[in-house]
Amino acid sequence: MLERLRHPWPDHRAERTLGAVSLLVCFVVLAMIVFVGARAWPTFSHEGLSWLGSGGDVQQQMGNMLGTGVHPPASSFYVRAWPIVYGTLLTTAMAVPLALTIALLASIFIVELAPAALRRLAIPVIRLLASVPSVIYGLIGVLVLVPFVGNNLITTSEKASVQNVVELTGAGLAVAVVILTVMITPIMIALICEALASVPRSWREGAVALGVNPVRAVMAVTLKAIRPAIVAATVLATARALGEAVMIQMVSGSRSFAPKPVDGWIFFFEPLRTLASAIIDNNEGLGAPALRSTVYAFAFLLLFSAFALSAAGYLVKLPLRRYHVQG
Amino acid sequence: MVSGPGRRSSPLTWRWRDRIVLAAAWAGGLGLCAIAAAIVIYMGFRGVQYLRPGLLFTRPAPGTVQSQSGGFLDPLLGTGLLTLIGILLAMPLAVGSAVWIAEYGRPGWLARLVESSIEIVAGTPDIVIAIFGLAIFQLSLLAPFSFTASGGGVYGKSFIAAGAMMSLIALPPLFTATRDGLQAVPVHMREAAFALGKTRIATIRRVLIPSVRSNIATGVTLGVSRIIGDTAIVLLLLGGTLHIEAQGSIPGLGLLRGTGSTLTSYVYDNSPAGEGAAEQKAYAAAFVLLVFVLGLNVIVDRIGRSQANSMGLAAAGGVV
Amino acid sequence: MHRIRRLSLAFAVAGVLGVAAPAAASAITTITMSGATASFPLVSLLAQKYVKQHPHKVKFKIAQGGAQVGINDVAAGRVTIANVSRDPTTSDPSGLVFYPIAKYGLCVVTNKSNPVANLTSAQVVSIFTGKTRSWSQVPGATAAGPIDLISRTLGSGALSSFQTAMLGGKSVSSIAAQEASDGLEYQQVQNDPNGITFVTNYRADKGQANVVGFNGVGCNLANVVSGQYAGVARFYEVTKGPATGAASAFIGWAGKSAAARKIISTQWVPIK
Repeated sequence: MLERLRHPWPDHRAERTLGAVSLLVCFVVLAMIVFVGARAWPTFSHEGLSWLGSGGDVQQQMGNMLGTGVHPPASSFYVRAWPIVYGTLLTTAMAVPLALTIALLASIFIVELAPAALRRLAIPVIRLLASVPSVIYGLIGVLVLVPFVGNNLITTSEKASVQNVVELTGAGLAVAVVILTVMITPIMIALICEALASVPRSWREGAVALGVNPVRAVMAVTLKAIRPAIVAATVLATARALGEAVMIQMVSGSRSFAPKPVDGWIFFFEPLRTLASAIIDNNEGLGAPALRSTVYAFAFLLLFSAFALSAAGYLVKLPLRRYHVQG
Repeated sequence: MVSGPGRRSSPLTWRWRDRIVLAAAWAGGLGLCAIAAAIVIYMGFRGVQYLRPGLLFTRPAPGTVQSQSGGFLDPLLGTGLLTLIGILLAMPLAVGSAVWIAEYGRPGWLARLVESSIEIVAGTPDIVIAIFGLAIFQLSLLAPFSFTASGGGVYGKSFIAAGAMMSLIALPPLFTATRDGLQAVPVHMREAAFALGKTRIATIRRVLIPSVRSNIATGVTLGVSRIIGDTAIVLLLLGGTLHIEAQGSIPGLGLLRGTGSTLTSYVYDNSPAGEGAAEQKAYAAAFVLLVFVLGLNVIVDRIGRSQANSMGLAAAGGVV
Repeated sequence: MHRIRRLSLAFAVAGVLGVAAPAAASAITTITMSGATASFPLVSLLAQKYVKQHPHKVKFKIAQGGAQVGINDVAAGRVTIANVSRDPTTSDPSGLVFYPIAKYGLCVVTNKSNPVANLTSAQVVSIFTGKTRSWSQVPGATAAGPIDLISRTLGSGALSSFQTAMLGGKSVSSIAAQEASDGLEYQQVQNDPNGITFVTNYRADKGQANVVGFNGVGCNLANVVSGQYAGVARFYEVTKGPATGAASAFIGWAGKSAAARKIISTQWVPIK
């Protein structure tokens, strides 16, 4: 048998073997859906989709799940995780547009406006920012930014005004969004720069020849031409933002609270939790069946959103196919 | 900038809107460079302040409080071991799939399925991959890969569990790099091999794979960079013991089944989010981590540049 | 011929490994523990001493997670012993046996910049249940602004013990920040000038936060030993059914041996 392994393989066997290896990846994805879904199933069967809604203190509900024993009654699966879902949506919805704007501006700078020396510097800088581990971002956040915000930006009267509802320590929405933006911008820049560089020069030069200044030329012509890349970058960045767990857990205050925009400036300093950071916070209590299925339900929601984002990106890019510049 | 004969328009003559965009673009670009510089300089400053060479070679103090004594040798070794397992598991899967997609790829629907699957794995958050790993490795079927408690519960956390999930993290960059490299190899190389009578698989083994060696190297470096930077999988799947503790007494297998920690989980545990209350150690370990990541970036750069110089083929695409 | 030989060799090797693995592994018993963070320092010290006195017999794997996590784990058979920092309650799974090994004190601490000397039980209840929200209403406090309550996550045994022993059974307000261990509580109160929390006397003795007296009695080991200090609770080792084998030997050693009592007496109170 080993002899047969050593002799050159016929093509059809090689094709089948390599095909089987490739199929393994599909099985991994399938396994992800099956196993995460199976462990999340009790929450879905007891609560349907209403666990995504609001009602009561979710932190209290999840804390109570710890004490329900090995065969928990149906009532112990009660959870209304809207504050956590809301926290996720809030951080992502604030970080992604901010990052997109900065990424577009920085990409225009790198590709069009920067002198050659600065451009050669910018590319490794962007790659560096993209590869810094999230725990280092979290460390700088919790040791530098959070004390700065807590001691300098939040006044005592602001803390006192919400003292009956929540404690403001500096760890909260603002720090989380700022660091998240810094984390996802480099990913977008990489994709957008590549696309910008592949737009044919003649398009832009044609605009300039018609008397348009260079910046307008870029905005009017090139940006429209790289719309598929912008979509791809947004999808990638959103997926990253949704799934960021460790950094958010370190800087967002670890309180399952839904920040209220009506609070004015205080809104930016209120603590929150996201789906991903809630999974990390509860990862030791997975022995309690009710808590386990709730946490896996969070994970399933994240998995589903990763799928949905890929699909949405694909669908949005379809009508843009007529431009031959692909991201 | 558009160059050439004729007057270039000066920004002073543009409309306000365009001037603002110009200023904003400069601000954005320079701002990002400033942030990157700030991060590197601050971590460097703290690292130089707190990192002593002894820390790299001393084992951590037992017990959670790290501020008094002990280094981070075990987390360092843990990082290395985990990276090794992850890459070893990812390489056959990634290179095999890339070869199949680039060279065979029939039937078409299967090829699209495989590519979509890898895209989905790339887009899955690492915390979901970690929790999936926990779900699998706590099955009694996979009990040999970790520790089984006396009451029958499977622990599910070990180097092999974390390493297997790390291979999923490293898979997409490696796959993309290899596939792009293979697609960039000109058709005439394959045709020449076929003309000489080689089968497809022989061409792949003898001609194509060697020619995409630098792409594979790039992909491996990118994969390694992602593995050593990942924290969520380590927190959930490596058991969180400060010292590397083998499980059982067979030398190699015991280590794989054992628990430990990595630089990332060490930084996390010593930060205010964890127990260690040792900011200095956290800074020192974070500095070492950053140096590794920077070094890997430089390697990717070098590989890309040497490839562009040497073969005259289209260089590997800018895979981030 | 070659093929058969190679295959049989492969099977022989696999068979030897398969037999050797469990045989070798069972030479050393592993005692797994999980549960309270409050008793972790004590249990680690006891485990270290036990391994030194009985080399190559036992190995310990100690995780944390909070007392409730320990109770769940031991009830499900995932660990051998649970470390628990509160008395048994009626909602605990049946069949668990609680072995007390030490007594410990719970101290209220504030930030060093806020040297509150003493609080009465009424004041402690009012602060921790969220009725008093501002430091200006607390006599002896120099901090200004809202009181930042720092508490534990809901599965904590120390939290239950604190609520029973010092809050008269009332619950800590849900406004409080919920930390995952008493080490984290201690860290948090050092960083927050307006913070107030409760930690074990082991932590409080580290001296990096201001220890508040309770009803005129200072919170230190001497007062806990003498019984003057009211905020006292017990550490338990919990097993499913009566302890057997290595677990039983360890728990017996922890309760009776002189070496164990010496360790416990350094920072805690041995059970008579």
